[in-house]
Amino acid sequence: MIRIFPSFRFTSLLSAAKPFCSVACSSSPAREPPPNLPYPEVKSITVSKTPKTPLFLRTPSHVTPLSEVWKWHDWAKDLASSVESSSTKSNDSLESVTLLRELKWLIEDTIVDDPLSILHKKEIEDDDKKKSVKLRASLEELYDLWKQRIENRRPFQYVVGCEHWRDLVLCVEEGVLIPRPETELIVDMVEELVSRDDWFKKGIWADLGTGSGAIAIGVAKVLGSRGKVVATDLSPVAIVVASHNVQRYSLEGMIEVREGSWFEPLKGLEGKLVGIVSNPPYIPSDDIPGLQAEVGRHEPKLALDGGIDGTDSLIHLCHGASRMLKRGGFFIFETNGEKQSKMIVDYMTNDLKHCFSDLKIVSDFAGIDRFVTGFRR
Amino acid sequence: MIRLYTTEMEPQLSPDLIKIMNQRLSAIEHRNTVLQKLINQPEYSQEEFSRANKELRKLRDSMELINDLRAIQKEIDELKSLVSESADDKDMLDMALSELDEAVEEEKRLQTLLLKSLLPKDEADERDCILEVRAGTGGEEASLFAMDIFRMYERYSQKKGWKFEIVDITESDMKGYKEASAAICGANVYGKLKFESGIHRVQRIPITEKSGRIHTSAVSVAILPQADEVDVQLRNEDLRIDTYRSGGCGGQHANTTNSAVRIIHHPTGIMVSIQDERSQHMNKAKALKVLCAKLYEIERLRIQNSRSKLRSDQIGSGDRSGRIRTYNFPQGRVTDHRVGITHHNIEDIMQGENLDSFIDALLLRQEMDAIASFSSTS
Repeated sequence: MIRIFPSFRFTSLLSAAKPFCSVACSSSPAREPPPNLPYPEVKSITVSKTPKTPLFLRTPSHVTPLSEVWKWHDWAKDLASSVESSSTKSNDSLESVTLLRELKWLIEDTIVDDPLSILHKKEIEDDDKKKSVKLRASLEELYDLWKQRIENRRPFQYVVGCEHWRDLVLCVEEGVLIPRPETELIVDMVEELVSRDDWFKKGIWADLGTGSGAIAIGVAKVLGSRGKVVATDLSPVAIVVASHNVQRYSLEGMIEVREGSWFEPLKGLEGKLVGIVSNPPYIPSDDIPGLQAEVGRHEPKLALDGGIDGTDSLIHLCHGASRMLKRGGFFIFETNGEKQSKMIVDYMTNDLKHCFSDLKIVSDFAGIDRFVTGFRR
Repeated sequence: MIRLYTTEMEPQLSPDLIKIMNQRLSAIEHRNTVLQKLINQPEYSQEEFSRANKELRKLRDSMELINDLRAIQKEIDELKSLVSESADDKDMLDMALSELDEAVEEEKRLQTLLLKSLLPKDEADERDCILEVRAGTGGEEASLFAMDIFRMYERYSQKKGWKFEIVDITESDMKGYKEASAAICGANVYGKLKFESGIHRVQRIPITEKSGRIHTSAVSVAILPQADEVDVQLRNEDLRIDTYRSGGCGGQHANTTNSAVRIIHHPTGIMVSIQDERSQHMNKAKALKVLCAKLYEIERLRIQNSRSKLRSDQIGSGDRSGRIRTYNFPQGRVTDHRVGITHHNIEDIMQGENLDSFIDALLLRQEMDAIASFSSTS
């Protein structure tokens, strides 16, 4: 790997970058200070909006007779088992196996004290009928939630209010894209890189269009204590949710969440980032109406629609990366697949000549060319 | 009753055994002296120096015990002559005798410790383990018993303060377990549980049986020491990782909670699938953990087979086909066929209580076997 920067230049920047936001403010005196303020202020701006509490974090205040819970569980199971017959063959249909697994997780998130052993009981004894359990939601709500899941195709992650991603449990809600398993690989790649080269552990990273904050949190954790990540998003809901997730993992010291479009909140950090990661909207506009119901009906278009050929944001990110990355800095962008990945590599090779090196296309576990990675020359 | 058995069988330090051990101790002392001299000679190369140093470090624990033993033996000699000299002085004699008693006890204690430290050790004993329970012959009833056995180890682990983490469960139609696996973590987990590998047989009236006839079915248990990717030199290029694919473009197009992962290890053809975790990352991590344990076990068996050609296999050497224990519900007893011990409270055993009565006996037998081979090879 090319590493031209002598290390002292880096250390001098580090000391200058403390406190973190002063770089952004002091180094661009001619312009207005960025409208996007660091974390505490962001919170006060959006004080009206508080993140939803996911099921598993609520207080178990609903004491409910076990027999009623059993009744609900039987009903929910029947509903889950009945879906396949109604909508077969369609590419966009629910699967009973998946729904039954989700039901198990819903129960795990809702019932306190060994939920599965309660529901696995084969024979109901008379004593048990009188027993009660503590639930984190009322039965009424549970009936409603399960109906929403199956009848409205509301994504399971919005139903329970969280998504398990890597070793994290992230709060999610409507208005924020649910992080996908494919995207976990971005963190794996960053981990691999920083374990080879310490230089990347000490610098500033950016996660653009952070959504729930998943990538930013994953990256911060692999960077260790010396790293910094700035996470930006245009959506106020995403800002609230990402900040909340950052707080839940006590990473406020490492991750700064800033509201704004792509690189706008990063003014003053030109040429100073050691890494950029992003999962921007990349679905071509024409594909949006045909999306899977969970995605098309419920997830934010802002996080999905990438313009006519889906590359609007990606092209913008390419230009930004050339401006914002230090020499030797690294980037990973997620894409729609083979066609887009090739387009982006071509664009970077031809239109942004001499800016990048080691451009690579990396596929996900399903074998789809999912990521473009490379280094700033 | 079991406890009595255990104390009775505490390894006895027979004069012969002590004689053999003393020869070993002298050899260790000699080697230690040679090495000490060697590292003080500047003409030796860096490589020789570090090799000698490494060997010295290995001997250090034994040497500390040997030095303590020598010191106490010297004290015993002195006390003995004091005793013979103070035949007329009763106070002095009493004091010398009681001190002599204490010193002899201490000598025994040190000798036992040394003996144990000289016995061959399985380096895997300290590791965490993977537990695999599989229903064998007996259909649905075997699956129900597999679940009972799996829960038994779960409760036993809880009592021991070990971490019991379910890896994967394949349920049968009646909510029994066709297959179940767990990762168990704690101090010396593998060393304690390794003898549980084998066929566990159950005799009882299945709840599915209307006529009240007693059925016999079987469950196989495997205990594998946990290993990491370094232990088994796992290479990325040997792995194929498959994930659930909804068929479409994936990525932002698809929202699925199915994050099942299947890993295939090409050189051995071993395949591991995990699906119950809520993230793909965790499913993958678990699958890798199981794969590493399996590869490590294959390697251990290979080494063991090449070593143990001369000697008949000891218990727990990986023979999974042997019937090791019978759980007879109508008679309320559990019998371990290897040590011939029967425990008459089957409920206790299934609750994870008193499993130690078998495990301790098996561990003791392992020790006795090791002592026997220690004496015969010396």
